[in-house]
Amino acid sequence: MQHAITHGPSFAMLRVDLAPGETVVGEAGAMVARHQGLAMAVKLNAGQKSGVFSLLKALVAAVLRRLIGGETFFVNHFTANSAGSVWLAPPLAGQIVHRRLQGELLLLSTGAYLAHAGGVELELKFGGLRALLARKGLFFLGVTGHGDLWFTSYGGVEAIDVNGSYLVDNGHLVGYEGNLTLSIRSAGGGLLGLAASGEGLVCELSGQGRVWLQTRNLESLVGWLTPMLPR
Amino acid sequence: MHVEILYRPAHALARVHLAPHESITAESGAMVGMSPNLAMQTQSGGLLSGVKRWFGGESFFRNTFTAPAERGELLLAHALCGDMRVLELTQAGFLLQSSAFIAATPNVSVQTELGGLKSFFAGTGLFVLRATAPSPGMLLLGAFGGVEELYCDGNLVIDTGHLVAWDATLDYSLGKSSSGWLLSFLSGEGLVCHFRGQGRIWIQSRSAAAYGREVASLLPPRRR
Repeated sequence: MQHAITHGPSFAMLRVDLAPGETVVGEAGAMVARHQGLAMAVKLNAGQKSGVFSLLKALVAAVLRRLIGGETFFVNHFTANSAGSVWLAPPLAGQIVHRRLQGELLLLSTGAYLAHAGGVELELKFGGLRALLARKGLFFLGVTGHGDLWFTSYGGVEAIDVNGSYLVDNGHLVGYEGNLTLSIRSAGGGLLGLAASGEGLVCELSGQGRVWLQTRNLESLVGWLTPMLPR
Repeated sequence: MHVEILYRPAHALARVHLAPHESITAESGAMVGMSPNLAMQTQSGGLLSGVKRWFGGESFFRNTFTAPAERGELLLAHALCGDMRVLELTQAGFLLQSSAFIAATPNVSVQTELGGLKSFFAGTGLFVLRATAPSPGMLLLGAFGGVEELYCDGNLVIDTGHLVAWDATLDYSLGKSSSGWLLSFLSGEGLVCHFRGQGRIWIQSRSAAAYGREVASLLPPRRR
């Protein structure tokens, strides 16, 4: 399996070349084009331990996610009957990042997942109050295993290697390595800073590991557009 | 005529250098700037073709810019963020998604075509454009996002929202992305275009409809 990311950083598109028998899984709606020799099958985003319980759990989580907003709960499996390519792209303007997973855990914000291949497990992690406060949705997508992962951003992506701690604006958080811990705090400046700095609450990542930020924030786009809409 | 494309790929701008007495026909609203010696003429090409264009999601009118007995310059751009491409007309011509058309040399006939059921459900609208020319000509296209040229060697399946243009030598039909309607709906892919034969297809790396849906889902409802 080979892949290429083109048209980055603004309008990145992913091409995955499959040999017969190989499979790549993509977020629903992300397909741009494919060869006809690639069969497409829609599946519930339930991971590979497809026991009844985990399917049920995935369905409940999926419905919840649907209600809260965020990514869809179905994924498309592209399997090559004959060698061919599939092209995938996210809906918004942004970059695509490839990560070769070797057993470690990655946590992705809502909407950051694009595709994966190989022995990669996706699991919804309830973010609890922390995630709710961070306004990134109630869930993070936990990704682990051995294989390829592609994730996406709104804007460019900056990777920061944290050693100790680092603060990230909640709307700019794309994902982080599982050995970092996430907590929510004020950006500083006391009560006035909390209310008037425009930064509000931020995510603090502590430990040692990598965090990915996006250079633009969807909430800011929406906040800018909303007052200009015709009434 | 010589065309340079600047500010690629995100905010492409076409600078068209016109030789004396040369002209170019552009989609209305595409003009960004021009040298003062150019003459602009607006035409609908007859009421019927104007109406057809209007139904096809294009503007009713097109403008022809003509250089006098000296050289002139015209700047053209697309409405959305993205790349532009210049295509040299071939014998068979091209089919294009209606919003991709920006300009063409005057010898190029750009006809709105009823794709029939073939494109009835396509996000690209009920109509496609067929560009043909009896002599060498040029077509200027605009896209949302980056443009990629794919070669269809036998068959390719393309999401309708990502289609820009294709060689008219290709056969195409609209279809479901999966085996059933329910699965097609769940897959989020909706309708796709099935291409058969040999030829080039230009795709764009973003779909305007998908982008719009994503942002619109976060906007407050319109108040009446």
